[in-house]
Amino acid sequence: MRKLLRRLRFLSGRTQFEDGMDEEMRFHLEMKAREYLAAGLSPDEARAAALRTFGNVPLLKEDSREVWGWRWLDDLLQDLRFSTRLLSKSPGFTLVVVLSLALGIGANTAIFSLIDAVMLRMLPVKTPEQLRQVLWVSSSSPRKLRLHTSYSTGFCPEIAGVSSLNSGCSFSYPTFAQVSEQAQAFSQVFTFTWAGDLNVIVNGQAALASGELVSGDYFSGLGVQPLLGRVITPADDQPGAPPVAMLTYGYWERRFGGDPTVVGKSVPMNGIPFAIIGVTPPEFFGVEPGNSPEIWVPLMKKDALTPPPEDEGKDMPRGQGEAVLRAQAQSDFENRETWWLRIMGRLKPGVSDSQARAELETIFHQSIIVGFSLVAKPQDLPRIELRPGGKGIDALRWHFSKPLWVLMGVVGLVLLIACANVANLLLARGTARQKEWAVRQALGAARSRLVRQLLTESLLLSLVGGAIGLLLAYWGSRLLVMMMSGGWQQINVSVRPDSRILGFTLGLSLLTGILFGLAPALRGTRVDLTPALKENPGNLAMRPGRVRLGLGTLLIVSQVAISLLLVIGASLFVRTLVNLETLDVGFNRKNVLLFSINPTTNGYSNQRLATFYRELQDRIDALPGVKSVSMSQYALISQSYSSNDISIEGYKPKPQERMDVGVLGVGPRFFETMGIPILLGRSIGVHDTVTSPKVAVVSEEVARRYFPGQNPIGRRFGFGDNNPAAIEIVGIARNAKYSGLHPDHENGTTVYIASLQEPKHLWQMNYEVRTAGNPMNWAPAVRQAVQSIDRNVPIFNVKTQTEQIDETIVNERLFAKLTSFFGLLALGLACVGLYGTMSYAVVRRTNEIGIRMALGAQKGRVLEMVLKESLLLEALGIGLGLPAAFAATRLVKSYLFGLTPTDPLTLLWSTLGLAAVAALAGYLPARRAARVDPLVALRYE
Amino acid sequence: MGKRKGTEHGELLPGTLDLLILQTLTHRAQHGYGIAQHIRQTSEDALQVEEGSLYPALQRLSLQGWITSEWKPSENNRRARFYRLTPAGRKQLGLEVSNFERILGAIRRVLQTA
Repeated sequence: MRKLLRRLRFLSGRTQFEDGMDEEMRFHLEMKAREYLAAGLSPDEARAAALRTFGNVPLLKEDSREVWGWRWLDDLLQDLRFSTRLLSKSPGFTLVVVLSLALGIGANTAIFSLIDAVMLRMLPVKTPEQLRQVLWVSSSSPRKLRLHTSYSTGFCPEIAGVSSLNSGCSFSYPTFAQVSEQAQAFSQVFTFTWAGDLNVIVNGQAALASGELVSGDYFSGLGVQPLLGRVITPADDQPGAPPVAMLTYGYWERRFGGDPTVVGKSVPMNGIPFAIIGVTPPEFFGVEPGNSPEIWVPLMKKDALTPPPEDEGKDMPRGQGEAVLRAQAQSDFENRETWWLRIMGRLKPGVSDSQARAELETIFHQSIIVGFSLVAKPQDLPRIELRPGGKGIDALRWHFSKPLWVLMGVVGLVLLIACANVANLLLARGTARQKEWAVRQALGAARSRLVRQLLTESLLLSLVGGAIGLLLAYWGSRLLVMMMSGGWQQINVSVRPDSRILGFTLGLSLLTGILFGLAPALRGTRVDLTPALKENPGNLAMRPGRVRLGLGTLLIVSQVAISLLLVIGASLFVRTLVNLETLDVGFNRKNVLLFSINPTTNGYSNQRLATFYRELQDRIDALPGVKSVSMSQYALISQSYSSNDISIEGYKPKPQERMDVGVLGVGPRFFETMGIPILLGRSIGVHDTVTSPKVAVVSEEVARRYFPGQNPIGRRFGFGDNNPAAIEIVGIARNAKYSGLHPDHENGTTVYIASLQEPKHLWQMNYEVRTAGNPMNWAPAVRQAVQSIDRNVPIFNVKTQTEQIDETIVNERLFAKLTSFFGLLALGLACVGLYGTMSYAVVRRTNEIGIRMALGAQKGRVLEMVLKESLLLEALGIGLGLPAAFAATRLVKSYLFGLTPTDPLTLLWSTLGLAAVAALAGYLPARRAARVDPLVALRYE
Repeated sequence: MGKRKGTEHGELLPGTLDLLILQTLTHRAQHGYGIAQHIRQTSEDALQVEEGSLYPALQRLSLQGWITSEWKPSENNRRARFYRLTPAGRKQLGLEVSNFERILGAIRRVLQTA
């Protein structure tokens, strides 16, 4: 250790050391010479004698220096100086190499930054590795076991081999209370749940903010300190405590302009004044970093904030959604059958997961069987599972992890191509420099020393490429997040270069440098000295007229193969996107503006609410350029889906027959506005109100399934086991997509009921406005119309129907865009490689070609000869690439739509396209070869 | 260029140069020339050292922390680098001397019985 310090001190005093050594030896020599002078020698003789007894001065100096073990550094610096000088002499070469490496490394770093942000990074909390998330797993659906009647799923990690219905991460409040009181394995237990969108009025402006309800131990359990003010404490989470709220950093910046005096202010949320007590630090996004709330509110304020949901059936309003099924109007804090809270705990040091799990399971079982006539046998009770909570719970991770790994694979291949390209360029350069190396070796340079110098050169290139790549990645990853954000409400992925990303880039650059540098370096320095010194280097490389199965050839072939693979992948994704975008959705997706409102956040209910909705419809209808306007429970293709079992008057279901249908509440003129043709009967109109008989329109598929060969008009049905004569069918509509484009989302059976007849469906409403032009132009007028009725009712989810559809195919669009980009990049790199190699071969063979032409070879023959070679390489590459594509495209099968991974047409066109482009890259050098002037060529040497 | 081991004069047993330097420095600090002088005079010219080879050896000993150096005016008022034994060096010297004597004794015994 001390030795290392001394070594380092030596390094810092390098120049003093050199001077000192000089002076010391000079002193010694002078003293010695003086000695000889005294012995009677002449001054010159004395000096010579002194030197003789002393030894070889420079060598001794070098030995003295080397003792300190820094020789490698000296060599490195020397190599670096040499390499820089050399590379700056051929700026074209350097530019091409550095740029292609920068693109390759940059793409990898960008994707890796996302993987890092989405999948690897720990939460910015105290000792995140102690956190555990609590899940339950059941052998059959707990609803069947009658354990709970209402549950909210939120996002839950998937458990391998278990259906999402038979597992979950939500628990009842009594379970949570019992766990936090009794569990010994945890030092702290806390809970949180989505509070819904809160109507927050700041400076007279109403807007929605996503809220989260948290228990009093949430912040202390996570160990998060506030940026401003204080955190929510258990004292705030008491029934009857004054209402307080914390803001996230982003929301504080956006809505309050980062005002530091915000703490202590009172802000109305859903009509109730809340005191702002603090702001969380910028890096903290809650335990769901990809889906962060904007406001934190104590759990006990739930009833004050959320109007009790009045839905029936399993509703899934938010993608993964929450399904709410309310049995009785009991408080959620007492009800054991409403499971709505997610639980996290901090494991005590030294307690194992299995101990904690066993303890929790006992408490959990006690809490669910209390006062309950148990249908289930004890062994059928759900089990408890623990999951590490340190990275947070993340729907994003689930949603994007596979796409990100696929993209990582793609960019990895691009980098490989770039490496092959650079290796090829270096090989070509190596051939040109063979004479130089032969001379140096002849003069006594060790081969290892030469290889080291060449590796220094390639590492220098790759590190510069990596540094530029890091910059590209910085922009690229932001662009990617923007592209991904489309579908998710808001993605709070902070991609910042942390040590892991820097390490990744550095490692990748070094690996790249060695990968493309080592082979050419070894190859280039393996020289049989005599012929290399004697001959012109050009004659060494390629034997005329034959493709040599050397390293260069191999590189070109693999480049062609890899780019074919990428081009095929890109074509598959592009065609998937085209298939999705041109899919017949059953309605007219053009020129529709969508927006949502939720007047219940400003105190509307029942009849006032219905009046509000109708009034708004009329006001928007009166706007110039609005052709038609309607409303529905959800927007179409918004991944929101409500379903319920129906019972039809006079229809006896077959055993095991599926009776669940999609249910969508719609307003007057919905079918006209969306352009869904009514095939029979009538649509739902303004006269269908709470007081008129209940009516419904069913899809063709419903008619086909349950009324084969009959006229469904006038028939009656009901939901669940309730009155099967409650609703009359008044019309049949053509089939249209409901929640999503993929066929597996639903079975095509949709029942449209009249929203305004069902007060239960009224708490939030989506409007559709068909416009005469670009729908976004009507957005201000529509906003104005809402505010003219009540300026404290915020309007949200303003977008066009096309945007809405695009959001559901974010992954597909991401894939199509990125793989096309990388596919083209790969193809471009491969062509540059092919072109470069062939041109180089032509230059080296100018002499030979000249002789052939002088001997009477036709231009056409020469062209053919050179072209044949590049075509052969291409054919080999395609021969390798096709089977690889066959194997690889299977991995992305689930991301394809409307075509198979080995779609013959895609394969054919991709191959032909690649062949054509590559043939062009090979043709250009061939044409140059054919234009060789024999006279010039022969005079060449 | 190939790596060359620091020169140790063939006429010395390997490692003995370090020993001689350390021994020379036991009584007082000395510069390189002085060390060479001392070794030559006390050995009565029997030990022929290529004088320059002292310097790599001095660096080796400094790296080990057995000696330190400082610049001081010499006897004739020229600036010179004086080397001085450190406590660690003194300990090392003891070790090397006993080691050397053990080997020497062993060699002597072998020579006598032969």
